[in-house]
Amino acid sequence: MLDSLARLGRWGLGMFERLGRGHLFLLSMLGGLHVLVMRPRLVIREVYAVGVLSLLIIVVSGGFVGMVLGLQGYNTLVGFGAEQSLGTVVSLSLLRELGPVVTALLFAGRAGSALTAEIGLMKSTEQLSGMEMMAVDPMRRVVAPRFLAGFFSMPLLAIIFSAVGVMGGYFVGVGLLGVDAGAFWSQMQDSVDFNEDVMNGVIKSLVFGFVVTWIALFEGYDATPTSEGVSRATTRTVVHSSLAVLGLDFILTGLMFNKF
Amino acid sequence: MIEVRDLHFARGSRKIFDGLDLDIHAGRVTAIMGPSGTGKTTLLKLIGGQLRPQHGSIRVDGQDVHRLGRGDLYRLRRRMGMLFQSGALLTDLSVFDNVAFPLREHTRLPERMIRDLVLMKLEAVGLRGARDLMPAELSGGMARRVALARAIALDPMMIMYDEPFTGLDPITMGTIVTLIKRLNDAIRLTSIVVSHDVRETLSIADDVYLIADGKVVERGTPEALAKTASDWANQFLQGLPDGPVPFHYPAADYREDLMNGGRDAR
Ligand SMILES: Nc1ncnc2c1ncn2[C@@H]1O[C@H](COP(=O)(O)OP(=O)(O)OP(=O)(O)O)[C@@H](O)[C@H]1O
Ligand SMILES: [Mg+2]
Repeated sequence: MLDSLARLGRWGLGMFERLGRGHLFLLSMLGGLHVLVMRPRLVIREVYAVGVLSLLIIVVSGGFVGMVLGLQGYNTLVGFGAEQSLGTVVSLSLLRELGPVVTALLFAGRAGSALTAEIGLMKSTEQLSGMEMMAVDPMRRVVAPRFLAGFFSMPLLAIIFSAVGVMGGYFVGVGLLGVDAGAFWSQMQDSVDFNEDVMNGVIKSLVFGFVVTWIALFEGYDATPTSEGVSRATTRTVVHSSLAVLGLDFILTGLMFNKF
Repeated sequence: MIEVRDLHFARGSRKIFDGLDLDIHAGRVTAIMGPSGTGKTTLLKLIGGQLRPQHGSIRVDGQDVHRLGRGDLYRLRRRMGMLFQSGALLTDLSVFDNVAFPLREHTRLPERMIRDLVLMKLEAVGLRGARDLMPAELSGGMARRVALARAIALDPMMIMYDEPFTGLDPITMGTIVTLIKRLNDAIRLTSIVVSHDVRETLSIADDVYLIADGKVVERGTPEALAKTASDWANQFLQGLPDGPVPFHYPAADYREDLMNGGRDAR
């Protein structure tokens, strides 16, 4: 009994300590951002690794999610004779929810895990330590550009995801199920509001990009420098950032779309 | 050049340094030797300011390493080279770019000049022909030599070699030994060589420190050490298996441990 209490206490302390270290890490990462103004090339390289290389999975998933939305939406709407509203249903679900959230989950799996593994391995092979001894701050040279790249790539990927998804919905709804093309687009234009829907989706994905990249980089930097430690850190990145995305999505949706 | 005073450092409850005093003079090769696990790598990391001692001070070129602000520490590190035990090359850059890395980070030299400098450094370690290889394509000894070229890229005032000789074939070993000596003499580098390859190290060292149990056990020139013949120095320098230096990591009594019969194995 006492034993398990002690273990709970130790676990709690350990968790808070990690949380504290995570925030210190964030601060020093943000403190390192200003040097990148002088060296945009560092960021561009990482945008390629983090963003461009995630494009394929984002486009394919966006297409399929949009097509499924087309099918499901049509089945539901046709019962009310409202299948002309399919464009609205597809675009709103994508812009408000599925675009940012699914993109963030895929991003955590594809780019987040890669970031953690990369930084963890750099740590375990003493590359970070070696940089420090060459008077190069790895926080600025390695971590900060990756953070910026993740932060900016996420909204772009989410927008691409939504755009491809709308295409997928159009393909299924108009192409296969015979919804009127004009109605699909005009209903969509009428009901989608730029600030309310598009921008809120972008804000969500910015927040998700921030959190996922932060978690991924911190896990890598904080990993135990062994192969087991790196593998555990990679798992933690995917689990923690997925949970964080889903939890934050609930909070953000509450704030944005429901005036309590 | 480097003064270590009353250094105390512990990892958890394990004391690694317990009042260590050391002086390293400019322009000389100082060897630091001691059994595996005595904290030689730790000492270099303390000198480089990567670790913080619990007590005591380390002054490099007149500056207390652990009292410096971030900017000053980084400025000081630019003048220190360190050769890691593992090489610590950046695996996503080619040999050329690895050696060019500190130059590109710290100078605004035109690319032509960087190229010339890098090729000069690579020539010095005999790997000019390997410039396009990736670190994964190098052998351990080659990686060490590339790391050495990188460490001298900024023409530091001192360089710390962590186990520069382990795992090298006799020929490479010989070239590295002469290389360290030559660098030291040619550009008046201060060199610290951490090693337990006694013969090679003694052949180039001007001063030798033997450390054990967190303290300096013996110090002097190689000739003087050969004469003093304290038990400890003798055992270490001649590689005798038994003597005052225990071969084992601190542990419970062996017999008891065996008799314990897995009582503490959960
Ligand atoms: N990251 C660490 N965490 C905890 N203990 C460590 C860590 N690194 C080293 N140690 C401990 O510190 C002691 C000194 O390690 P160090 O690497 O400095 O030894 P060394 O003298 O360089 O040995 P070798 O000659 O084998 O390289 C060892 O006993 C080791 O157990
Ligand atoms: Mg060592």
